Amino acid sequence: MKRLLPPMVTLLAALLVWEGVVRAFDVGEYLFPAPSVVAQAAADNAGALARGFGLTALGALAGFALSAVVGVALGAALAASRTLERAVFPFTVFLQTVPLVAIAPLLVIWFGYGLRPVIVSAFVVSLFPVIANTLVGLRSVDPALRDLFRLYGASRWDRFFKLELPAALPNVFAGFRVSAGLAVIGAIVGEFFASYAGDDAGLGLLVASWIKQYHTDRAFAAVGLASLLGLLMFGAVNGLSQLLLGRWHASAQER
Amino acid sequence: MTRAPLILLPLALLLGCPGEPAGAQATGASGATKVAIQCNWLPEPQFGGIYHAAQAGIFAKHGIEADVRKGGPDIPAVQMAAAGQVEFALAAADEVIRIREGGADVVAVFATYQTAPQGLMTHGEREVATLEELLQAEGTLAVQPGLAYVKYLEQTIGIKAKLVPYQGGLGQYMASRESLDFAQQCFVTSEPLAAEREGAPAKVFLIADSGFNPYTSVVITRRDYLERHPETVAAVVAALQEGWRAYLDDPSAANAHMHTLNGSMDVETFSAAAEAQKPLIDTGAPLGSMTLARWEELQRQLVEVEAVEGSGKPSDCFVSSE
Repeated sequence: MKRLLPPMVTLLAALLVWEGVVRAFDVGEYLFPAPSVVAQAAADNAGALARGFGLTALGALAGFALSAVVGVALGAALAASRTLERAVFPFTVFLQTVPLVAIAPLLVIWFGYGLRPVIVSAFVVSLFPVIANTLVGLRSVDPALRDLFRLYGASRWDRFFKLELPAALPNVFAGFRVSAGLAVIGAIVGEFFASYAGDDAGLGLLVASWIKQYHTDRAFAAVGLASLLGLLMFGAVNGLSQLLLGRWHASAQER
Repeated sequence: MTRAPLILLPLALLLGCPGEPAGAQATGASGATKVAIQCNWLPEPQFGGIYHAAQAGIFAKHGIEADVRKGGPDIPAVQMAAAGQVEFALAAADEVIRIREGGADVVAVFATYQTAPQGLMTHGEREVATLEELLQAEGTLAVQPGLAYVKYLEQTIGIKAKLVPYQGGLGQYMASRESLDFAQQCFVTSEPLAAEREGAPAKVFLIADSGFNPYTSVVITRRDYLERHPETVAAVVAALQEGWRAYLDDPSAANAHMHTLNGSMDVETFSAAAEAQKPLIDTGAPLGSMTLARWEELQRQLVEVEAVEGSGKPSDCFVSSE
């Protein structure tokens, strides 16, 4: 509990300042609504927001899971061969720089509307950090330990699963932490282009729709929920990291 | 050069860019009043009269130096005007009512279209004959999320098609040539004409035929700007009336100019669109004029479909030159 206190205090202070500034300067609701107004809008539209949260969470989680599996596998493949790394890695960098907003309409043509293009969008945006960090982690194995394994006649698989992968885990999780947040962004942006409206509307579509209707308070509520989703995924990754690394790695210990 | 750390340089750049305070009037080189007019879409015949007035010196004749800025799907023209970033902007009448309820005191001064040019278009080969049939058919309907007329149609006719986001242009339309079960929003004067040129002629249904007919391409300004500079607003409105009359008579010059700013439509489509929109603009009433009855009906319709609460007075939404 005492770990949660500092961020909660910061949050409360920030909300109070926000509310104060909006009231003091009489900022128009269409421009920048106060937290109290946003909270009211969230309560009034709880159903749509809950449904949207569920859909976006599904898209982001699925996209993240895909990028975790594919990213680690690709990172491992690139780590195994320097030639392969030189041949393929520049194109994974391209993944990071391609502007999602430009390719999103293409995603719709290839994958249709609804959940599938949203998952692909989340996947594309969140893949690169996993590949890059996995690659670095696998390559950072202590050469002395590598020699030790060879001295004992360990097989390639033994070396990978008992030495390289565990040694790389902290880096892999560093990649996951970045990737989780990006997956949420990817899902939201994908929804701008591909989400159905009405009961099947993701948070991204709700934001776009409410902004167009000048319901800025509702849009802020949806954005807040999207941030919450990112936070929850980040927390889950951290929790998992603690579970797997807690007993033996310096980064997970409270020294 | 002082020995201040280099890191302060970006901060200095940020602080050193003063914005124009809202409501202040800039004066151009010749003493003309500078105003910015923020369009809410790319340069197309729907803004023909405005561009013509700027190019042909009509604004200048009225003592105005007009900076006509092109818009697009992601440019929040209405919010920019409401926040005072630009003196004038283009909006649809329903947007005016909605943003007024959100706390922005903007007022309409000139209505380009007496009949709203919004429509729904689908493939010519598709077996639908009326707006009702289109909405009741299965398939997808691509519209910008949050449009008022979509809410109206949902409540009055009912929409069976699945609503998806409209991405602009004809990309989604052309991609659905095989399945045909796709429809999208359009301005009846532009996208259908472009579709015909692409070899995929469309069936078009005017939204106004459903009874929902807000003034469209309405020029708005902030009420406090109107109260502080009534002569400027009057001059701009007069210039717009002249500019539109001249554009309706001969759109070729303005079209050529707009085409250099917006290459996504070819020149033939520009002139076809300019021709097609004439009956929607020039209906016998003075160009740009608005009536209280139309604003009252629009508010009533928006309240009926719960797009607005109806707390504002329709008479506050506009000033007519009549």
